Amino acid sequence: MSAITIDEAVEAQVREIIADALELEEELTRTGLFVDDYGADSLAAIELLSTLEKTFGVTIEQDELPKMVNLEAVLEVLARAEAR
Amino acid sequence: MTARRVVLTGIGVLSSIGNGVTEFTRGLREGRCGAGPITRFDSTGFRRQLAHEVHDFTPSQWVRHTPAEQLGRATQFSVAAARMAVSDAGLDPADLRERPGLVTVGTTDGEADALDRLVEAQANGTVPADLDPVAVGRLAAHRLALAVVRELRLSRAVPSVLGTACAAGNYAVGDGYDAVRSGEADWALVGGADALTRRTFAGFHRLGLVASDRCRPFDADREGLLTAEGAGVLVLEDLESARARGARVYAELLGYGLNCDAHHPTAPHTDSVAQVMRLALADAGVKPEEVDLISAHGTGTPTNDVTEIRAVRQVFGDRPPRTVALKSMLGHTMGAASALGAAASALALAHGFVPPTVNHRTTDPECAVDCVPNHAVDADLRVVVNNGLAFGGNNAAVVLGRHQES
Amino acid sequence: MTTVAVPTDRHFITAWSAVSPYGLESADYARGVTADVAADAGDGSRAVPVPDGHAGEQACLVPGFEVREVLGRAGTRTMDRATGLAVTAVRELFDEASRARRPVPVGTGTALVLATTLGSAQSQHDFAHASFTGEKPYDVPAQYMPNVLMNCPAAASAIRFGLKGPNTTLAGGRPSGLLALGYARRLLAAGRAERVLVGAVEEYSPSRSWIEHHTRAADETPGPLGEGCALLLVEPGNGIPAGRTALAELLAVDARVDVDDRLATTAEACVRAALAAAGVEAPDVWAAVAGGLTGRTGHVETALLRRLFGPEATDRVHVHTHIGDTAAASTTFQLAALLATAKGDPTSHGRPAVITSIDRDGSVACAVVRLLGEET
Repeated sequence: MSAITIDEAVEAQVREIIADALELEEELTRTGLFVDDYGADSLAAIELLSTLEKTFGVTIEQDELPKMVNLEAVLEVLARAEAR
Repeated sequence: MTARRVVLTGIGVLSSIGNGVTEFTRGLREGRCGAGPITRFDSTGFRRQLAHEVHDFTPSQWVRHTPAEQLGRATQFSVAAARMAVSDAGLDPADLRERPGLVTVGTTDGEADALDRLVEAQANGTVPADLDPVAVGRLAAHRLALAVVRELRLSRAVPSVLGTACAAGNYAVGDGYDAVRSGEADWALVGGADALTRRTFAGFHRLGLVASDRCRPFDADREGLLTAEGAGVLVLEDLESARARGARVYAELLGYGLNCDAHHPTAPHTDSVAQVMRLALADAGVKPEEVDLISAHGTGTPTNDVTEIRAVRQVFGDRPPRTVALKSMLGHTMGAASALGAAASALALAHGFVPPTVNHRTTDPECAVDCVPNHAVDADLRVVVNNGLAFGGNNAAVVLGRHQES
Repeated sequence: MTTVAVPTDRHFITAWSAVSPYGLESADYARGVTADVAADAGDGSRAVPVPDGHAGEQACLVPGFEVREVLGRAGTRTMDRATGLAVTAVRELFDEASRARRPVPVGTGTALVLATTLGSAQSQHDFAHASFTGEKPYDVPAQYMPNVLMNCPAAASAIRFGLKGPNTTLAGGRPSGLLALGYARRLLAAGRAERVLVGAVEEYSPSRSWIEHHTRAADETPGPLGEGCALLLVEPGNGIPAGRTALAELLAVDARVDVDDRLATTAEACVRAALAAAGVEAPDVWAAVAGGLTGRTGHVETALLRRLFGPEATDRVHVHTHIGDTAAASTTFQLAALLATAKGDPTSHGRPAVITSIDRDGSVACAVVRLLGEET
């Protein structure tokens, strides 16, 4: 069962984590692509995954990583992540 | 002055599939896999539990002039492999003592294991006000070479440790090659050593690069690498002196290449990996079609294997030579990896066989090479290319050729 | 100025940089190490209190060095101090060469050989610490994984400036910088690079302070730790572009280890072998710059140099009392100080000079250069 319910507070926290990992200067949109639109690389993606795990006390499986392409996708992955 | 020819006349090995050249050779032929549960540190709480460890290692057997506890495990490995190599070459250390030489050892982590233990004590609040100077004294990476020089009392040797991460072994082999070839050194002890460390395991684990069961390079279902420990040290000398003393020659070093991706801290770069193989072949005066075997870096991570095989195909075309990944057997021994690769390449040339890529089920179409799955084959080899790639884009490729007395 | 006919099979130092406790620019370093110590306040060193150091010691820090302030925000988010110092030293060398309208080419022809003790001790320490203190043992900061490796400073410099030649990180204790010079010479002699940036980096950090404090011998009277990165541009005679002046010719490097507990004998053999390989007679030596250890080991070195070269030669160049103990970077800082001092003293031109280093564990090294003067 999922450990996290996505609400406004969670989304705000996720936005902050993404903005930090990707060093965003601009506004993060829900569908803006991390790699193509914000210049993220593979290390930034791992950092994002590990910060989400630590912050929300969940485990995100490695095969979810390629799916985490934008904010919307991250929220979906987080919603189905299990507690650590 | 014409450059001298450089030959490999001694091999010392510690690995998860066997210690010493005889056991190592047997392990390669049999396609042993050295994976097992982690015992070197407490792996509680990690989601991956396997690594390749060196077993049946008794430091006091190899470290004789220094109290063994003054040396960290990687340094003990380095000393042991060096002693084995010198003995395997039919040399007494005294034979090398008064002649200019080079001791160059590659490593990724140096004595990170020793630092891990100090940091653990600090984190647990059990660190004494004054650290044990013996424990701190183990930390410096340069001791991997220095301890070899001191233990074997090599009074004319230049000791260097090369910290070019996971390509460091090949970097060291190349340095020895240049020094012996030019005549700067009469001999060189070169290779790499790393002990299993929690820090590096945790890092690769966090990067999602550690496999859950076995390392399966080039396999469609590969998950990643298994971290490992080991050491490989080679004796290099010039052909004339080797002949003069009637030495057995495993292989001739034909050349090598070094370059840097200058691209990304962790992601390899296809063109640059292709370029380092081209540099090595040009240095060796060998054409791509003359290469019989590639000992790949072959970590078994999704990215490395695709990138490396694309680079292989750039250089060697659509029908590349057999391309094997020793890490399926040895795990990823970090700075020792390409040194062990060079040792295995030399043994393959000398004994006429190709070590397999074990744990293999289905070749990934994106890594379409003959990786000699699971079983060694006999083969008449003349030229082998041995790759080493590293984080930071530090690439090195070494070319070895069969030695034939005319 | 001295005009030098440059042959093709020899190796020359044609530029240098030093990010040092005197500042980021080579001019800062030159001014600092050649200043009249007595005129400076206090003992002339740049030491400042470091509350996070071991037992609240002092250290000689690169003043105001914050990576992102010096190098900007782009690509520096995870740069640690050792890496930032190295990248800055490469930048300074390149910028100065460009200002002199002799830019250093990058790409495949340019190698970088960088010596260090551990890379960033602090990065390694913090990474391991996270594993022991995190909720899960794999809660380590993934983005800092490259920093944990010793090759991070060299590799990051390559990425930033497009250095695609050989990129080598070398550890050799205090003589590291001289071992790196020897390695660089092998690269050039074998044709593996057209030019080599060679030097060494050492950061100040609480972790390094912690380690160094417990590494020192009981009989030492250590000064403050120092930090920085010094680099030399070494080019073969036929590779020096018109207009770039050779500052010094690299004549010989010798390195060895005292394996018989006869340190003085080993050190003398090392220096004499280097002089012989260089074809240099001891009385001709203009300056001899020692590695700066105190205690018995340091005394062996200073006594040897005074005996071989006389007090005039050994007193010409001052380094370690100014910038502190820079460990693996010490010998490259010695060379940079030699070049800076020689530039202001025409009596140096055409004369040989000696750089030595001895470490606690018995490794010794010596380089011999010929000072060639410099356009001013």
